Amino acid sequence: MVEFKHKTPLIDQLETGPWTSFVSDIKREHESRMENPKGIDYQFNQECCDDLLGVLELSYDHGRTHWKHGGIVGVFGYGGGVIGRYCDQPEMFPGVAHFHTMRVNQPMGHYYKTDYLEQLMDLWERRGSGLTNMHGATGDIIFLGTSTPQLEEVFYELTHNINQDLGGSGSNLRTPSDCMGQSMCEYACYDTQEFCYNMTMEYQDELHRPAFPYKFKFKFDGCPNCCVAAIARSDLSFIGTWRDDIRIDQKAVKAYVGGELKPNAGAHAGRDWGAFDIQKEVIGLCPTECMSWDGSKLEINTPECTRCMHCINVMPRALRVGLDTGCSVLAGAKAPILDGAQMGTLIVPFIKVEEPYDEIKEKVVEPIWDWWMEEGKNRERLGELIKRQGMQKLLEVTNFKAVPQMIKEPRSNPYVFWKEDEVPGGWKRDINEFRKHHQR
Amino acid sequence: MDEEATKTLIVETLKKKKGKSKFYLKDFYKMVPDEKPRAVKNLVNQMVQEETLEYWSSGSTTLIGLKGVGKQAAADGED
Amino acid sequence: MAFISSGYNPAKPMEDRITDIGPRHYAEFYPPVIKKNKGKWLYHEIIEPGIVVHVAESGDELFAVRVGGCRLMSVSHIREIMEIADKYCDGYVRWTTRNNVEFMTDSKDKCMALKADLLGRKQPGGCYKFPIGGTGASITNIVHTQGWIHCHTPATDASGTVKATMDVMFDQWESMKLPAKLRISMACCLNMCGAVHCSDIAILGYHRKPPLVDHEYLDKMCEIPLAIAACPTAAIKPTKVEFGGKQLKSVSVKEERCMFCGNCYTMCPSMPLADTEGDGIVLMAGGKISNRIDAPKFSKVVVAFIPNEMPRWQTMTATIKRMVDAYSADARKYERLGHWAERIGWERFFEKCELEFTHHLIDDFRDPAYYTWRQTTNFKFSKTG
Repeated sequence: MVEFKHKTPLIDQLETGPWTSFVSDIKREHESRMENPKGIDYQFNQECCDDLLGVLELSYDHGRTHWKHGGIVGVFGYGGGVIGRYCDQPEMFPGVAHFHTMRVNQPMGHYYKTDYLEQLMDLWERRGSGLTNMHGATGDIIFLGTSTPQLEEVFYELTHNINQDLGGSGSNLRTPSDCMGQSMCEYACYDTQEFCYNMTMEYQDELHRPAFPYKFKFKFDGCPNCCVAAIARSDLSFIGTWRDDIRIDQKAVKAYVGGELKPNAGAHAGRDWGAFDIQKEVIGLCPTECMSWDGSKLEINTPECTRCMHCINVMPRALRVGLDTGCSVLAGAKAPILDGAQMGTLIVPFIKVEEPYDEIKEKVVEPIWDWWMEEGKNRERLGELIKRQGMQKLLEVTNFKAVPQMIKEPRSNPYVFWKEDEVPGGWKRDINEFRKHHQR
Repeated sequence: MDEEATKTLIVETLKKKKGKSKFYLKDFYKMVPDEKPRAVKNLVNQMVQEETLEYWSSGSTTLIGLKGVGKQAAADGED
Repeated sequence: MAFISSGYNPAKPMEDRITDIGPRHYAEFYPPVIKKNKGKWLYHEIIEPGIVVHVAESGDELFAVRVGGCRLMSVSHIREIMEIADKYCDGYVRWTTRNNVEFMTDSKDKCMALKADLLGRKQPGGCYKFPIGGTGASITNIVHTQGWIHCHTPATDASGTVKATMDVMFDQWESMKLPAKLRISMACCLNMCGAVHCSDIAILGYHRKPPLVDHEYLDKMCEIPLAIAACPTAAIKPTKVEFGGKQLKSVSVKEERCMFCGNCYTMCPSMPLADTEGDGIVLMAGGKISNRIDAPKFSKVVVAFIPNEMPRWQTMTATIKRMVDAYSADARKYERLGHWAERIGWERFFEKCELEFTHHLIDDFRDPAYYTWRQTTNFKFSKTG
């Protein structure tokens, strides 16, 4: 029996119930480290998991955290990838006195093979706490907890033995992330994995070394269902879309109507919602009313469709996204702090997503970065800069043409800040000429 | 200005700052107003490689200062 | 333990250094069936909760079993995932964007054997190691942040609130009987590393007390200009204080301006924020990220504060369950929680969910606040007055 130094009656209560228990899992790791059947020469404290449980129990006892931030630690030459953490009760919990996090750039789509996972696990078991996050909110593999001297050792082994780099943090490009895309999903309008990988490799310098006024995120969603939440949390989101017809298999539509095919790919199978009603569930819920069904044929008036995905989600075997695919680019999403949350704003309605993606890099990403690097205030996200200096300014720096797709509605105030060169004759006028026709 | 002179200027400017040892990247732009932001960024990152400067990260933002200067290292027990 | 070098030489950090190599290439990790059929998938179908079959134009099938994972995962647990992946999936496995693990097989038989194996694996206290579900009109896994496990500014725990919530909502995880999918997300302070702001239900840790100031040590441990610059609302000013007969440099906090973000504590360990009574939970509701039917929506604050109740947060989980039950009973098929609340009206939402409306729920933060007030005579009367 492996012993635990700390009594943990409060968090022990999280070891029951059906959902998988992180407390049981941390205990399991402690047991594994103490039993050490493989004879590992642990390079980080062997009792760290026990001490982590102890810290957590203390926090559960009085409702306060026991961690302090540390900003100085990192691997040499990189501004990101490591978050310094220290326990504020190091004597009580020596195993986690230093407990720094490392962010490891995840493989796109979060696909793994066990031989690669084994290399990562062997490394982290030996040189770290044996605890991870799979994955952090941005998408990285998180190695949770090690000491300062181990940071370089872990990095050296990662890069030399596993051919694997760290992810981003601080005022860097953050580790780009993507949905599963075409690898498994028939809705995907472009290859999210390839685009995400290409952008990650193209901008390695920005990812590892601070380049910007604040964090910057790219996210890649294959379709407007937005499984990776690009539209809500990335400074530039690339969301798959198409501009031709939704492909219709009329036979399959009839099969849905006749009850032979399960609507919604089976997503609503747990409740009796009654027989499938195409009129009510598809035609009636279409936000643009661009669909019709006459009992034998489904028609979609493509120019009026806004590609919201509802009909495709309901009848995936009858309807498929078009063939002329690409992505919409939205800019400026962020979480609330400071001036409130922002959703991405549409800046490019449609662009083809084709290797080597030069058009997107040269005409979208880099002009926007140049502007933000020059004009952005410290800790100002791109979305806040767009708000502060205006959409007009964004159009100016990118040379994008203003199109009505960019707005929900036109302005309801007439206060246009006309520029001099937009007005015939300019602003230089002769008062004496004016006075010839108007008395003082 | 040549690269060496710019580096010296940056170091001298940092040494003169009292009570504050860490700066945002944008503060470095102001020290070298004639250079483009991207050029300053590259130079600052190079000075980190050369161990003249070092990063300090809040997790969300990065600050940069002279290596070993400031109070955080002692506070973190990393000196 | 003896220090074992990886080969790194601290005296010459640049020697033999490899940098800027990025992640491994994803294609190394694609199962053969994906390599072959990528971009040529025809359709997918959820054959039962947690199991999805993907069918390709070629006729190939891929059966994916979705299991819930704790985001916090040990090496031992991951090794068990590897063992399962080796046994059933030729060593391939993937994680989803919501901390679930997907085991992919090429036949239904293998998939069913895998399912039985997964459900038989329990932790010592009886919890499933690999709960199956999270597909379709269900509540899938809760994405979350670090909480008291690792963060310096959390107002609550993340893993614990998530475990408590998933236990209470487990029935909705392993079934598909809701009107639409329901996404719960958790962030342990207002900085929202977890970007919970577009979730059907968001659990958010929140502080309610300004930082303490440790005047005696502040100037020794912190650079005052950095602490001042860290504050997003400019509430921190330099000051001089009397301490032990000496004049010390320190800072003062204009408390009514504090938004409790903890950014000062990040820069300055002499300004801790955590407080037993001050800290707790905010619940938000009605957000979504999908463009389906209408535009993505932000979540709205529906409960301004619930105290931390360790270890099970019973008031919080009961409140979430009340919201989910009211939504489930009343919403139309395909309506997300936010659609439902907008259709019946938020005044009715509070009534149906038995939530108290308080002045804290009326926005007073900067410009967008005005756009959330009602500028019409069209409203519904509440039954309770």
